[in-house]
Amino acid sequence: MTDSPSGGFSRRRFLTSSGAIGTLALAGCTQNTSSGNGDGSGNNSSDGSSSDGLSGQVIIKGSSTVFPISDAMAEEFMEEHENVNVTVDSTGSGGGFENWFCPGDSDINGASRPISDAEIEQCSGNDVEPVEFEIAGDALTVAVNNDADWVDCITFDELRQIWSDEAGVTNWSDVRDEWPDMEIERYGPASTSGTFDYFNENVVGEDTEHTTEYQPTEEDETIVQGIRDNEGGIGYFGFAYYNSNSEAVKAVEVRAEEGDECTPPSLANAKDGSYPLARPLFLYVAESALQTEEVSEFVEFYLEQAETDVVQEIGYVPSSAEQRDENLEKLDEIAG
Amino acid sequence: MATREPETGWHGEDSDVNHLRGRAFEATCLAATAFGLVSVLLLLLFVANDAFRPFSADAGWLATYAATVLVPLAALAVYYYRLDEPAGEVAYVTSGLPVVGLLLTGGFAVLFIELLSVLEWFALLISLVVAGGLIAAHGRLRPKAALERLAVVLLAPIVTVFGLPPTSFNRFVTDTAAALGLDFGLYYRVISLREAIMMLPFVPTDWVMLLLTLVLPVAGAAGWFVEQRRESRRDGLAVVGLTTAVAVVGVVAGPLLGIGTDVWLLVVTFAVLPLGVYVEGVLRRGEGVRGLAFPVAAVLGVVVGSVVTGALGFAGPDPWLDWGFLTSATSRTAADAGIYPAMVGSVMMIIVIVLTTFPVGVGAAIYLEEYAPSQGLMGKFVTLIEINIGNLAGVPSVVYGLLGLALFIRVLQWPQGSVIVAGLAVGLLILPIVIISAQEAIRSVPDSFRQASYGMGATRWQTIRQVVLPEALPGILTGTILALGRAIGETAPLLMIGAAASVRLAPNSFFDVASMMPRQIFSWSSELDPSFRHGVLAAGVITLLAVLLVMNATAIVIRNRYQRTG
Repeated sequence: MTDSPSGGFSRRRFLTSSGAIGTLALAGCTQNTSSGNGDGSGNNSSDGSSSDGLSGQVIIKGSSTVFPISDAMAEEFMEEHENVNVTVDSTGSGGGFENWFCPGDSDINGASRPISDAEIEQCSGNDVEPVEFEIAGDALTVAVNNDADWVDCITFDELRQIWSDEAGVTNWSDVRDEWPDMEIERYGPASTSGTFDYFNENVVGEDTEHTTEYQPTEEDETIVQGIRDNEGGIGYFGFAYYNSNSEAVKAVEVRAEEGDECTPPSLANAKDGSYPLARPLFLYVAESALQTEEVSEFVEFYLEQAETDVVQEIGYVPSSAEQRDENLEKLDEIAG
Repeated sequence: MATREPETGWHGEDSDVNHLRGRAFEATCLAATAFGLVSVLLLLLFVANDAFRPFSADAGWLATYAATVLVPLAALAVYYYRLDEPAGEVAYVTSGLPVVGLLLTGGFAVLFIELLSVLEWFALLISLVVAGGLIAAHGRLRPKAALERLAVVLLAPIVTVFGLPPTSFNRFVTDTAAALGLDFGLYYRVISLREAIMMLPFVPTDWVMLLLTLVLPVAGAAGWFVEQRRESRRDGLAVVGLTTAVAVVGVVAGPLLGIGTDVWLLVVTFAVLPLGVYVEGVLRRGEGVRGLAFPVAAVLGVVVGSVVTGALGFAGPDPWLDWGFLTSATSRTAADAGIYPAMVGSVMMIIVIVLTTFPVGVGAAIYLEEYAPSQGLMGKFVTLIEINIGNLAGVPSVVYGLLGLALFIRVLQWPQGSVIVAGLAVGLLILPIVIISAQEAIRSVPDSFRQASYGMGATRWQTIRQVVLPEALPGILTGTILALGRAIGETAPLLMIGAAASVRLAPNSFFDVASMMPRQIFSWSSELDPSFRHGVLAAGVITLLAVLLVMNATAIVIRNRYQRTG
């Protein structure tokens, strides 16, 4: 009823004609497949130019502070091994440990603070054994608006007053009398961030709570924008972000105690230890992931390159030669 | 309307009616429209300026191209608009068709580069054709056995494409048996036609396979179309012959001009052939022939412009959005950064969404509109479901991301950030929209159509298949494509399911880790280097907008066709 005779006719003719053309073509232009890969698996190996045939993927999550270094390493590594897919994501140190690394969903976690006991416990509950490498140093930078000419140097105690609810500070004048009566607009990393943890532990103090009266974000760029647009703005982030935004905001010199010398954030000052907010950056690799060739190759590359100018260009302190050798030795022991 | 007496005599006669409120309301509405449109336009111009940086070119370069391209085209456009409207439409289509054709070409080129080899495509298509042949043969031999036919329709593609039993099913059975401590496996299986073709020692060269499976079928369809329109079998065959000849000549001559054979075949299929058929139609009708001058003027203008600027040494602009941007991966140096892997990821995600959401959504809509009880307790229950589908359409996209994370990554253990997880999470997000728009389309089919069909003795299934669905299909497609437009721009679910900030390899399979365009744009927004945020970001946004515009334009074309024929 539905199939009209003409429809059936043309279909049959189509089948015969396409069959005839197919046979002709088969007889004519053919290529030999036996030289290629005969298993016919999904990947086309036409670009077989990669020198070593290393393939697979490496998943990096973690700190937004370490992200620029890892991203650069991924790019350099993939230039040599074009079939290894190294993906980098910035989730914050804590967010990376809790949501991806410890559940076993990522191979490597960047961190701007050492791993916590609770996180080690969570990891071992899932049979993930983190291996720690110290890969670079950072000068955590406190920045204010360019027009904030009243503040040049700040002590830990003043930072503590600003970043905790205890002192009830709302305006700049509450901290130091000569500062203007202007509201403090705080911009800082979210609590999943390692930068937050470091600042909370070393400046605000473990007994004091970090304030919640601020704009938390996982994107350091947002902090810079907030400070730039608000005269009473203050915030803190990794040195690299200041390094590439040094026009937009003003970095404040820091001293631990009232009597200490004021030190500006810089790579040199972080290296020689004179900057009080200098901190190490870490890479945590799952021990099981290190058993695969692509991850161990990548980590080896990473640890070697962490000593070079690549890290310096991004705005961090490269690891020392001893640090590098120590790291490589550790890697050798575990990866075999 | 016409039966009613015109009401005159009491309003409008009185001279002291106050028009002020009406005028003020009109002005407010106009202001709202203008404000919305102007602000969007300004934003787009701002982004486009960042992406293309036209003013980085020499003034002479800009002046040359203004004189050779802009002025002639503007003059032609004004002429068409004022004097020759049919020609305007022809100009519009002849300029648009090659663009859409080249986009399709790009899509297929990516398909062959990233997903399938030409041989795999060939084997798959042949197997599907054979399966279709089996189904048709069964229908011819045993037209009455409906249940048997259902089995054939389901089994034939599986047998020809996947083999009996399919490899993945085989592996599943073996693995399950091994997990239970049994050595049980299906060691012997009938390999599929697809696998058999893949194993042949000699197969046709790539271009022959493409010619057979892509160029000839499309040319055949075009030939059939021309044959119907001109009522001449010879003309139809001429189209097929001419297309094949052009394709083969290109294959032979292409290497001399530096064009890859595969690319040439795709260009012939998707750009040259549709344009040729359309131009033939225009010439035959003799209506709006002057519109053909527009694309010719555009091409001539560009050629003359490039010759003049080359001779005078004017430097062109240095846009962020250029060929390199579309074909390379992201990088930490802004000048090298590109969007290619993310674009492939987005396209593959859309494929997953279409394959899953469309059947499920349309199926649900058909059930709710045609079968679901509308009275009694069950009717109330169905109403409750419909209300909740409406609510689901308003649920924030982050929630769907969380659902995807919990369901696909934590429970099913699929790789995080992979194409399939992203596609399913975003697919769930647009599913309610697809259901609602499909329901609207089905509801808009007049009930008299159904009654007439029943009156002729058709069953409900026949009525739905032959009457309701064909009538509702354009509406369903329009709604689905607009929903896909929303899907391709979603960012929040991608963040939740762990699509990474930087992925430098395009995915090769649906279980590969991938980035998608909005995710990539978002990660550029937080790069250290400001030129990412001002240049690369803008180029990414323009690319995403272009893809969106093409999808929406497709929806509009489908709707227009529907309105013309329906």
